[in-house]
Amino acid sequence: MSKMFQIKLQSLGHPNPESFNCEDEKEYKSVVLWLEDQKIRHYKIEEREGLRNFDSDGWKESYNAYQRDLVSPAAELSPNEQLNWLLSYAVRLEYADNVDKYKNAKVEQPKQAPNVISTNPLDNLDFSCTTFKAGVERVSTIAGISPHPDPKIRLAALCKILKTAPHPDPPSSESVAIQQPSDVLKLLFIEDLRDLQTKINESLVAVQTVTADPRTDTKLGQVGR
Amino acid sequence: MVVRQYNEELKYLEKINPYCWRIKKGFQPNMNVEGVFYVNGTLEKLMLDELRNACRPGMTGGFLPGVKQIANVAALPGIVGRSVGLPDVHSGYGFAIGNMAAFDMADPKSIVSPGGVGFDINCGVRLLRTNLSEKDVQPVKEQLAQSLFDHIPVGVGSKGIIPMNARDLEEALEMGMDWSLREGYVWAEDKEHCEEYGRMLNADPSKVSLRAKKRGLPQLGTLGAGNHYAEIQVVDEIYDKYAAGKMGIERLGQVCIMIHSGSRGFGHQVATDALVQMEKAMKRDQIETNDRQLACARINSTEGQDYLKAMAAAANFAWVNRSSMTFLTRQAFAKQFKMAPDDLDMHVIYDVSHNVAKAEEHVVDGKLKTLLVHRKGSTRAFPPHHPLIPVDYQLTGQPVLIGGTMGTCSYGRALSRAKSRRNIDYKEVLTKMENMGISIRVASPKLVMEESPESYKNVTDVVNTCHAAGISKKSVKLRPIAVIKG
Repeated sequence: MSKMFQIKLQSLGHPNPESFNCEDEKEYKSVVLWLEDQKIRHYKIEEREGLRNFDSDGWKESYNAYQRDLVSPAAELSPNEQLNWLLSYAVRLEYADNVDKYKNAKVEQPKQAPNVISTNPLDNLDFSCTTFKAGVERVSTIAGISPHPDPKIRLAALCKILKTAPHPDPPSSESVAIQQPSDVLKLLFIEDLRDLQTKINESLVAVQTVTADPRTDTKLGQVGR
Repeated sequence: MVVRQYNEELKYLEKINPYCWRIKKGFQPNMNVEGVFYVNGTLEKLMLDELRNACRPGMTGGFLPGVKQIANVAALPGIVGRSVGLPDVHSGYGFAIGNMAAFDMADPKSIVSPGGVGFDINCGVRLLRTNLSEKDVQPVKEQLAQSLFDHIPVGVGSKGIIPMNARDLEEALEMGMDWSLREGYVWAEDKEHCEEYGRMLNADPSKVSLRAKKRGLPQLGTLGAGNHYAEIQVVDEIYDKYAAGKMGIERLGQVCIMIHSGSRGFGHQVATDALVQMEKAMKRDQIETNDRQLACARINSTEGQDYLKAMAAAANFAWVNRSSMTFLTRQAFAKQFKMAPDDLDMHVIYDVSHNVAKAEEHVVDGKLKTLLVHRKGSTRAFPPHHPLIPVDYQLTGQPVLIGGTMGTCSYGRALSRAKSRRNIDYKEVLTKMENMGISIRVASPKLVMEESPESYKNVTDVVNTCHAAGISKKSVKLRPIAVIKG
């Protein structure tokens, strides 16, 4: 974990990433404050007081509130995982602020994939349009998914949550927003399933033309008492 | 059985709403969970009268009352949730008929009991639709009833008209409805509309005794006796137009065919063989039950596994049996109306089993568990969007077929068979049916009175209770116009 912290701190320009010891409470707190002061800047300066008071008993509480305000998915996890998320978040913000500067620093270019035109309407969605972004934003907020500049990543996260976590009941104000898309998905799924079942039936019928030979022999019949 | 006064017994029963009663722990010894049963006013009286009669001094022998049986099942090892009595519940061998009980398969002490499935393994109901109307069938219903009677042999000791040898039987036991499909007796769509797609994959014919196979071989494609029947019915009332439409039921007077049958002598022999094995297993594993008829074995024991594999083979036998009768019914109709069954739109609406034990996943106390669900005289009723129901019923939920008996649409016994024989005259029953305009063909008129409408709990009460308790919703009522039975 500490190697990971080191790399991220280094890329963010922290003064002494080499010597940072995440087990030391004081250093931990100071990195959190440094991240907010220099990189994340979620609060106004005067609101950061709670995070600045390292020696106060209320620090932990302020820290928890801070994570809640950032909608950190790591808020319930260990302190190291919490810090890791904060660091990653700061890196993302740093990147988003200076896209032009960083975008040329490309890693090896993947080979050009052959251009396949998909028939799946979902693949042909315009992922950059504002309606899509706004929709993902709305649903993600309800599901408690933390912010990310790429709506597709948030959508992937949403997908993971829906598959694994028990579905939380949406607040009543948003229940229609959830109900309608989920109804649409269910209907699309049923349509797919019907197609599949029809194909299965067609295959069975094709096999039957070879195997079927139904016979009856009335001489065998015998009515009981 | 604990002997108490009727008033004392009532202290263990609590009416929690107009359609549901709770059976508290202590009603019978060692109850692991509570019991519950669903009744309306009429059925409630029948249930409690049965209990009151059993409490009278000197009442011994015969089956225990249904409530007691539900409570005894609640005392079996590994049971989870509750022991459930459905509206038509009545005394049976060990388990009451209409009792559902589920056992946690992860618990090594959990048991499987042949009494929880019944002797007629995978007895079930299959409903076919047609595009005919009552007016098409009324003028020829005598001929149709006779034609069905000629095609589908009925009665004790009847033999089927589909030629089968021992090897065919082995394959049918393993493949279930896939065998019927391969041989061309059914349509691909029939399999789609059948619980479990007409095949239990854990079936193992090698776990079935030779005796069972010998009994079963000539009986495939026969209806059997007892409460089994094939009926030509017409749509009498549509309560839920949308759900009915999904089943292909579009209008009043539309003709349907209901087949109620099971695994014949084959299933009976499998159950009998298993009971012998289980008595030994109970002694060895020191399993105690409240009732000797609740013979059982741990699910993971050899006896338990052997039974489940043989039971699955018997379930497959029953599906092949109902499939064969579907084929014969289609032939009878095709001959009568000189049209192909395809053109008569003779599709299977659904085929549902009411005597079977199956491994299913359910959420118990918020946790997903794999349960061995015993259903005896009780039909599965899965809700909309359940993965185990056909795609056509994803929006309506699984169709629940509640069959009646002979004319009045009744289901679930109110009188014992012997009592029926003593009290009811068979000629009277037959005349009554005739007066109602129902054509009837029976193999053994004298046995008819055992199954006469008076012998059963009123099916309307049963269906209404299910509806009111939220177990299932009424969608269509069918009225018989011709009956064949054993």
